Amino acid sequence: MEPVRSQINQERIEAEPPLKQKKLRKRKSWVPGLLLLVPILLFLFGFFVVPMLYILYLSFISTDSLSGAGAVYSLQNYITLFTDSYYLSSLWITVKISLLSSLVALILGYPIALTMAKSTPRMRAIITLLIASPLLVSIVVRNFGWYLLLLPNGTINSFLMNIGIINKPLNLLFSELGVVIGLSNAYLPFMVLAIVTSLYNIDPSLEKASAILGASPLRSFFSITLPLSLPGIVSGCVLVFSLSMSAYVTPALMGGANVPVMPVVVYDQINNLLQWTFGSALSYVLLATTLISVFIFTRAFEKSKFKEVFR
Amino acid sequence: MNTTVSDVEIKGATKQFGSNIVLDAIDLEVKQGELLTLLGPSGCGKSTTLNLIAGFLEADQGDVYIKGKKVTKVPPYKRDLGMVFQTYSLFPHMTVYENLNFGLKLRKISKAEQKEKIDRVLALVKMSGLEHRYPRELSGGQRQRVAIARALVVEPELLLLDEPLSNLDAKLRHELRLEIKRLQKEIGVTTIFVTHDQEEALSLSDRVVVMNAGKIEQISTPTSIYKHPKTEFVFQFIGKSNSFEGAVVAIDSQKISVKAGEEIVVVDYDNIIGEDRDISSGDEVKLYIRPENIHIASTRETSAPLELHPATITQMNYLGTSWEIDVSLIGKSLQVLTNDYDSSWREGREVFVGWNPSDLKLIKKE
Ligand SMILES: Nc1ncnc2c1ncn2[C@@H]1O[C@H](COP(=O)(O)OP(=O)(O)OP(=O)(O)O)[C@@H](O)[C@H]1O
Ligand SMILES: [Mg+2]
Repeated sequence: MEPVRSQINQERIEAEPPLKQKKLRKRKSWVPGLLLLVPILLFLFGFFVVPMLYILYLSFISTDSLSGAGAVYSLQNYITLFTDSYYLSSLWITVKISLLSSLVALILGYPIALTMAKSTPRMRAIITLLIASPLLVSIVVRNFGWYLLLLPNGTINSFLMNIGIINKPLNLLFSELGVVIGLSNAYLPFMVLAIVTSLYNIDPSLEKASAILGASPLRSFFSITLPLSLPGIVSGCVLVFSLSMSAYVTPALMGGANVPVMPVVVYDQINNLLQWTFGSALSYVLLATTLISVFIFTRAFEKSKFKEVFR
Repeated sequence: MNTTVSDVEIKGATKQFGSNIVLDAIDLEVKQGELLTLLGPSGCGKSTTLNLIAGFLEADQGDVYIKGKKVTKVPPYKRDLGMVFQTYSLFPHMTVYENLNFGLKLRKISKAEQKEKIDRVLALVKMSGLEHRYPRELSGGQRQRVAIARALVVEPELLLLDEPLSNLDAKLRHELRLEIKRLQKEIGVTTIFVTHDQEEALSLSDRVVVMNAGKIEQISTPTSIYKHPKTEFVFQFIGKSNSFEGAVVAIDSQKISVKAGEEIVVVDYDNIIGEDRDISSGDEVKLYIRPENIHIASTRETSAPLELHPATITQMNYLGTSWEIDVSLIGKSLQVLTNDYDSSWREGREVFVGWNPSDLKLIKKE
């Protein structure tokens, strides 16, 4: 009764070139392939690995003399950081804003991605262009554009006051809300493109199968399309979250001193207060927080009842 | 079972994609409990017909009736059908059990009843014990069984299968074909089966619908499709055939004499294929004969009642149970299919071939 050979195996066998030929090809291309990677590996080592290790080293020095002589190695920087409520609250604000930005980008991005996945190739190209166009404008220019909209006497507040919904201006700018608006807007394209990729990968006949079994379009969406697009949702959220955690320009311009997110605080420590060692410790705590959050988030999905989707 | 009730009826359905007329005023009736196959070459509109019945497409003109109710405007999820897709289309994030339960949950029946139905249908497709596997963990044949089980478990009014076996290897395809036939008879569900494999169609069906370029060529039982093709297309599409060209030289009340090359061959009047049965002397015609209807012998004496013609073997292919032998008959190549094989036959050897006039089909050239 057990079928002899599965369809997938068969396809794979047909698709593969004869063994001998394949081996030859592999041996030939292997070494030059690695050689091509040498420049980029050197580049990454020199300009990423070395400075990162140096910053890690600095973070364990508790005096401000950077040269070896008077340096005292300790965990003092980290202890200060975790006992001072200013830094802890900065970390919390950063996480909160990044989570909210991911959520807003997801809520706004999913319908766009869904529309894209269902439209004709021509329409899809147009939407892609529209979605990606903000990336073509410098982030600084865009931030000043938002100023015009969000200032207490800006377009949105004047409009709302004119029609009488509010009687004093909302704190849209220089608030957490402003930063979330800016970040979610800036990183929306990443969310949309991540989700749309996973929507494309869903076999359209699954939705047909679901319909013929009696599921309404809404039901099919929640039972089939949404779960199967989870990989896109997860990678989109991870992207937007990590980008938001490390964003500097948008929080600095949209939040100012009212919203001291970690990258702004780090910049302040290093560039204004010249606290290199403490700034280094702050950077590493930010990095670790991002990595741990992302790890927990993706793990949670990979262990959930939808784990099969992530294979 | 009342076989006069029709479960599905398509009346004058026309479907166009752009300027491409995919279905051209199709009329089709499917009787209760029967297994009907739609057979035809790729692109002839089989899937389109099925999609009209399922409700995934709407006809530009014409209507679809299921159990006497007009469903032309009813969306697929309200039609209560079962469908098996060419690509299996199992939900990858659900176990076999969850896949089968998907339709049942929408039908609001008790948990116990769900389990009972699933157990029953899994036994039916011989997949008991694999309910906690994910589709990824199944072989192609097993996935196909689950897909069939998923369509059956909701006890649909109608079962639609769109080339469900085309992704499988020959042996498995044969095995599952028999199983589908058994299941269908056991449950008695009206079934429409789409295929482009004529062997599959002939072996499975109660009736076969042969389609070509958006039109129905013939609807008949498998034997009648094979033995009494109505059109030239059907004759050529079903099974292999040899063809000759010739001209009518004489006609009497039962027989038509045709001069093909140097030979005069005689054809029964009943064996005219096609619409135009009005043959007169001098008409250009085509003659067809199936390879298995040509007799082949080493000497003239063996098949006494037939008129035998000398021919030369040009190629021999062993097919396992029979031989496919190409012979050259006065310069014309002819394919012969035979079980009686003489070990002295070689390429280049002279043999004798002949046929029964009743096996020759004739069609008038336009
Ligand atoms: N959505 C569509 N848009 C445009 N043309 C289509 C569409 N669907 C089908 N067609 C065309 O309609 C014709 C019939 O298609 P259909 O899928 O019914 O063929 P089929 O008989 O099922 O063939 P196959 O055996 O290859 O599955 C084909 O020429 C196809 O190109
Ligand atoms: Mg098809």
